[in-house]
Amino acid sequence: MKNKNNPQAADLELETTPGIILCATRGSEGISPTEQEAIDLAKEHDYTIVFLYIVNTHFLDKTAAPIVVDVDDELSDMGEFLLLMVKERAEQQGVNVRTLIRKGEVREEIKQVATKICADMVVLGRPAGEGSAFELASLQAFAEEIEADTEAKVIIV
Amino acid sequence: MHHLLDSIPSVVNVITESSLSIAAIVSMLIFALVFIAIAFRLLNEAAAALLGGVAVLLVTYIGGTFNEELILLPFEDAMLFIDWNVILLLMGMMIFMAILSSTNVFRWLGLRLYTLARGNTVLIVVLLITLTGVTSAVLNNVTAILLIVPLSIQLSLAMGLNPLAVVIAEVMASNIGGAATIIGDPPSTIVGSHIGVSFAEYFVNMAPVALICMAALVLINQFQYRKEYTKGKKTVSPALLDKLSSEAQIVNHPTLYKSLVVGAATFALFFVADMFGNMPTSVVALSGAALLLAWVRPDMHEMMHEVDWTTLIFFIGLFIVVGGMEATGAIDWFAAHMLQLAGGSLERATLLIVWISGIASGIVDNIPYTVAALPVVELLTVSVPGAAKNNILYWALILGADFGGNLTYLGSAPNIVAVGLLAQAGYRVTFGRFMRDGVPVTVVTLIIASIYLLLRYL
Repeated sequence: MKNKNNPQAADLELETTPGIILCATRGSEGISPTEQEAIDLAKEHDYTIVFLYIVNTHFLDKTAAPIVVDVDDELSDMGEFLLLMVKERAEQQGVNVRTLIRKGEVREEIKQVATKICADMVVLGRPAGEGSAFELASLQAFAEEIEADTEAKVIIV
Repeated sequence: MHHLLDSIPSVVNVITESSLSIAAIVSMLIFALVFIAIAFRLLNEAAAALLGGVAVLLVTYIGGTFNEELILLPFEDAMLFIDWNVILLLMGMMIFMAILSSTNVFRWLGLRLYTLARGNTVLIVVLLITLTGVTSAVLNNVTAILLIVPLSIQLSLAMGLNPLAVVIAEVMASNIGGAATIIGDPPSTIVGSHIGVSFAEYFVNMAPVALICMAALVLINQFQYRKEYTKGKKTVSPALLDKLSSEAQIVNHPTLYKSLVVGAATFALFFVADMFGNMPTSVVALSGAALLLAWVRPDMHEMMHEVDWTTLIFFIGLFIVVGGMEATGAIDWFAAHMLQLAGGSLERATLLIVWISGIASGIVDNIPYTVAALPVVELLTVSVPGAAKNNILYWALILGADFGGNLTYLGSAPNIVAVGLLAQAGYRVTFGRFMRDGVPVTVVTLIIASIYLLLRYL
């Protein structure tokens, strides 16, 4: 019950939950092993899962094409949709779910959100090949960093 | 062969001397470095091009002080190489796009198409691909991708489809559709502006082949993903559909109506501009943008933020770098070698330009390629008998560069943007994965382009 009296936790109505699992997601087809692990842990401990979607527009830096569209907004809308899909699937398995969208660097945002919502567990997925947000070694280092900076236990799936 | 070269003194000089000046070598080196920086993503494209342009000027002034052979391109001459028609056309269209896209009309249109298809997966995909192609022709292909792809990803997921089946085809539609008009794709704008064709003349020449290639793309896509499309769900969960509907509302009706009125008037003016002393396309685009700004009255500071200066800097830098190569004779050298390869045959020159442009544009961004290839094509046009009468080699360059952009995900800006959007939805597209779809479409569309050019212009 570390999450009491925390503004971010209050926004997400997390004050009464026995514990919180943070799981960053980008959607994709079906439930990923990472998301499923978070769901299984939530069922086992009766915790609430916070699924986090991070908007990151750095891929636009690779091109000099004219960007006159509010890409943050477009991606936030897409993120809300993806979170809604994963929320539907998780709730079908009887789990309590909250969703959250942030904009910025993946590492920084996961760490900040884990701290702000006082997560008990953070579930991270292993690198999925080319274009992955992390390499395995850096993921392990990142997991240690989260554990050192927050009180959360990090589980790598 | 020799009698052909005699008509082009500069080309003859390069061939007979068979050596390049120091200035030409330095300018080629600068261009090569810019190209490498862009191709390998070592620097942002605009930063690389600007750095290249500055390098041309610095070598001219600092190097030229000590050695006259290092005078590549003085500032006054550099300004003449910048195609302001392209820069101002892009700026005008950016303002128009920024105002129109703020109304959310494309998302609204996408969802209306979904409703219209009544759960028919194949029809939904065909309509989305067509919407992207048409939007790319009348706006700009990167904007089309940024507006349509996020919605397409959501619709695909809601229908239980792999978004790659839809999005990769949409990207290719944007590259093909962009070839249909002078404002659709940067290579079209650069070449069209350089040869001074009107919007209507460009449209009459390029829209038919773009239309045929769009049809070919749809057929290839349906064949490639025929199994995937059988998986499509007829109905979408009510919660997901509610979410899609809530995001697909028109935001500002008055602004939308004004944008549509001004947009229609601008397009009408594009088509009749050559009746008014060959009014440049940039003047038409800027007129539309100015009228819309006066009518809608958006926050001007905000609007100036919407103009993507990165793009304009990128083009200015590129024009100076390639200007350096033109001024020093490096372009003549390339043209002479192309002329040798073509052997004075217009058919062979046309096919060489289509296929070299197609392959080169697949490997590197098609914008720097087009800017560099344009003066080469210009020299070939005046050298190869019969080429000057109908601009065939310029059309070959446009089609090669636009369609070749589909070969790999590095080929054009819309590809890079779409791959980034897919990654944001958890779908990573590798180089090989993109090529699996891109190679057949590129080969087929380049074959169609080759046949079209030979049948129509020869």
